[in-house]
Amino acid sequence: MRPVAIIGTGQTQHARCRDDLSQPELVREACLAALHDADVPPSDVDAVLISNMELFEGRAMPELWVGEAAFAARKPCMKVATGGTSGTSGCIAGFHQVASGLFDVVLVVGFEKHSEGHTQTGMALTDPFWDRAVASGALGNFALSVSQYMAERGVTEQHAAEVAVKARRNASNNPHAHLQMPDLTTDAVLSSRMLAHPLRLLDMCPQSDGACAIVIACETEARRRCARPAWVKAAVTRHDQPYLGDLGNRLAEMRTLREAARVAYEKAGIQQPLRDLDVAEIYEPVTYAELAWYEALGFCTDGDAGRLIEEGVTTMQGELPVNPSGGVLSTNPVGASGVIRVAEAALQIHGRGGERQVDGVRTALATGYGVYAWADAIILGEALQ
Amino acid sequence: MNRSGPIRIPFRYAAGETGSRFLVALRDDQRILGSRCTTCERVQCPASSFCPHCGGATPETVDVQPEGNLVSWTEIPGRGVYGLVRLEGADTALLHRLLGPSTTWAIGLRVRARFAEERTGSVCDIEGFEAMEGGRP
Amino acid sequence: MTERLTVPLTMDLSWQYASGAAMERFCNGLQARRIEALRCGGCGRRYLPPRPMCGDCRLRLTQWVPVGDEGRLEAWTIVHLPILDGRTGETRPSPYGMGLIRLDGADTTLNHFLVESEPARLRIGLRVKAVWRKELLGAMDDILHFEVLP
Repeated sequence: MRPVAIIGTGQTQHARCRDDLSQPELVREACLAALHDADVPPSDVDAVLISNMELFEGRAMPELWVGEAAFAARKPCMKVATGGTSGTSGCIAGFHQVASGLFDVVLVVGFEKHSEGHTQTGMALTDPFWDRAVASGALGNFALSVSQYMAERGVTEQHAAEVAVKARRNASNNPHAHLQMPDLTTDAVLSSRMLAHPLRLLDMCPQSDGACAIVIACETEARRRCARPAWVKAAVTRHDQPYLGDLGNRLAEMRTLREAARVAYEKAGIQQPLRDLDVAEIYEPVTYAELAWYEALGFCTDGDAGRLIEEGVTTMQGELPVNPSGGVLSTNPVGASGVIRVAEAALQIHGRGGERQVDGVRTALATGYGVYAWADAIILGEALQ
Repeated sequence: MNRSGPIRIPFRYAAGETGSRFLVALRDDQRILGSRCTTCERVQCPASSFCPHCGGATPETVDVQPEGNLVSWTEIPGRGVYGLVRLEGADTALLHRLLGPSTTWAIGLRVRARFAEERTGSVCDIEGFEAMEGGRP
Repeated sequence: MTERLTVPLTMDLSWQYASGAAMERFCNGLQARRIEALRCGGCGRRYLPPRPMCGDCRLRLTQWVPVGDEGRLEAWTIVHLPILDGRTGETRPSPYGMGLIRLDGADTTLNHFLVESEPARLRIGLRVKAVWRKELLGAMDDILHFEVLP
């Protein structure tokens, strides 16, 4: 397997509703930005991967409509749809395509236009015999899991509110982010409208329209075109059982993310995550999930996530900044969200983070999360060895 | 055991820049627009944002005649007659309804667009294509 | 700048799904107010809903075990945000209660509605009982919701 690096990233202005652009036009914008960032002309792209959930916009084969916008005309092109992990799955498929030696330069673009459909409804249309009659969408499912997690690990509403504040304040440094709230306070979070007990409006991610693309290259092409490639040190996927009720205390256990991280850390030589990682872009659909991911990713022991956020360990000034971009809590076009995590981790290594750049990033973690407990853990580094 | 699983969800799609221009021209002016690729010069109809042939941008929309040749056609029992029509000025064929019984149609026939009385900004603002008088190949 | 149009289109389709043997038996059981789980011969886990194999052990599931219609409330929420029911296109009235219920005799939890929608009256650990529809059709919504036992 050959070494693989990310040499460019690009994204659109994410927003609640992009009625100004059609789906292909949205995709083209992100692809052009990524190819420009990578200094790669479209003709040099060997293959294209498109991450998107068909049912969210209710059209078959999104790659048919947007493929030419992604410069995939007459090239190998594949769509990836794995719920929230669509974006990270697409990136991992891209890594495999280049690492295998089949392709030298691959473009991955993820996108979603939630304003065009009903996402909570679409995602509930799983098992027709079991799930559909009792669906409450991601919101209801998360609310149930959060109540179990709080009971088990003792995190509080206040801890969750601090995560919400960190995310939207960080997003204010990110020109692409959907929700930017530089003056958000925990009081404002705790008095926002209750959506599904105990989740309040500001505990939840938005639904965004947006697209994000990355350019992946083999070693020869990466060294030729990029001053500081973001090398892929590990990319690990773990999925789990098909029903919400199979997963026990889902957020507390999260065996998929725990194992994906353990294997990724081993491959990348990470022994103490807080010390050995310089930045993390983790996929957190609700505030409480970020706390659960701190535990699953080994940033702290189980039960200690509240202390981590209280002490500011994961703020921009802390030991391990988590989600300088503002995370999924600030921007969430589902097909793009996983690509955004990988892109944001990569651009930190590239040194192109602008106002959200963390100083001296050598190693970055990106995670994906989807469905009930699917997880991806990806580690990028500035050096190949 | 088999059970039915209905799905009923309303969607709304942004036509975007080029798509909107195309639909507005149909609705307001009964004009059909194609898009010309700045790289390879091909004219795509209906107008689209990007050239599927070479991936180039297609910022220029051009008028395409409402008349052209029937490239192919078929009848679907119970549904109607459909055809691929290459309009004058376009390099691609357009899929739409044909207005008339199956005995009317032959490849190469000259056809013309008939516009609907009530138009909303939809590809159905063209009601379908009818055979032109004396239009047999 | 040209006016930007949006085009409305409603998906209104129906599919026919084969249930498979395990779900067929389960659904027939519901029609007789009988709930059953499938027990894994390897790890002993009793699965609701029934399925052909245990995901952890990769063993085929063949042992049916009875499950009661009462159980423990493992998680709860009150949903305020309206959701469109994708089967009908209609919005489900809110607020409504939802819970994860571990029925007596099962190891997985059942995600279902709670008739209670007052947060002060709900907590993890309460005993709940299924309320059945009058006319049973052999489907998941033969159980209307769960009520908290006094």
